[in-house]
Amino acid sequence: MPLHIKSGKPLRRKLFTTVIILLSSISPSLSQLHAAASVALAKEESGELDLSATKALFDTHSACFVDARSEYVYYKSHITGAISLSDSRFEEQFPDFRHNKAIETLIVVYCTEPSCGMARHVAKKLMKNGYRNVRVFSGGLIEWAHAGFPMEG
Amino acid sequence: MTKIGFPSALITALRLMLGVLFIMSGYEKLMDLKFFALIIAEYQILPTFLISAIALLFSLCELLCGTMLLIDLFSRFSSSVMLCMMVIFIAAMINNVMRGLDHDCGCFKFLSQWYGLKEEIGIVPVVRDILFFILLLPIASFGSNRVPWKKDQK
Repeated sequence: MPLHIKSGKPLRRKLFTTVIILLSSISPSLSQLHAAASVALAKEESGELDLSATKALFDTHSACFVDARSEYVYYKSHITGAISLSDSRFEEQFPDFRHNKAIETLIVVYCTEPSCGMARHVAKKLMKNGYRNVRVFSGGLIEWAHAGFPMEG
Repeated sequence: MTKIGFPSALITALRLMLGVLFIMSGYEKLMDLKFFALIIAEYQILPTFLISAIALLFSLCELLCGTMLLIDLFSRFSSSVMLCMMVIFIAAMINNVMRGLDHDCGCFKFLSQWYGLKEEIGIVPVVRDILFFILLLPIASFGSNRVPWKKDQK
């Protein structure tokens, strides 16, 4: 009996996936949704978060926000509660960060905008230093500010 | 041997102009010393423990030398101090431009706010500081080193 249940689940999933693929190939609107979902999934897998996912983490206080921009820019404005860990002075700032943040902490790194590479650099450096739960908020501070979400500085 | 002179009116004009400029710059930095210290940190030249002290020293130097230039108190000395500071700023900026770093220069924020001048390190701030260096030279060479309230001095 348990064997029957185990073998039934993949079959049901396969059927469901086939139906979705068939539907998305028939309806153009569904195929657009499918494409958008794939992009979102790819982004999620690469460790990048969109605005709504970032805001959800912010609201639930379940992540540590890290500002990868220069310290003097962080000093003027940043996401409320974010910590400065700049790409340019990572080596100087990291020991303090390591002392205060446990290795399993969920970290969301951001910089100014999607084209600035500082957030991805800092995320890589953090992962190199043992932090496994690191995500990048690719929209950056510009998208956050445009949405009118909390900032300080 | 005749001493080559320099129009005293021009020296006075330069003194007043640069004096006001350095007073404003020093005051601006002192008002937000932490911001200035963070910009100095971004140059990645000084060790961390020196940064706050250097930020305070540079801001005070600018404010004091600017005031001394304005009231013509030891103008030659104060302009020489500012010349040294200009050399340091120019060298630091050229060094960072060559290293490919990109950040604010921490020079004259109010000038960038008023006239839209570029504040990021690069050719424009370097040329601007070279210009200030050239303008300081006549004061350091031909200016007076007197105390204005002592009338019997040369």
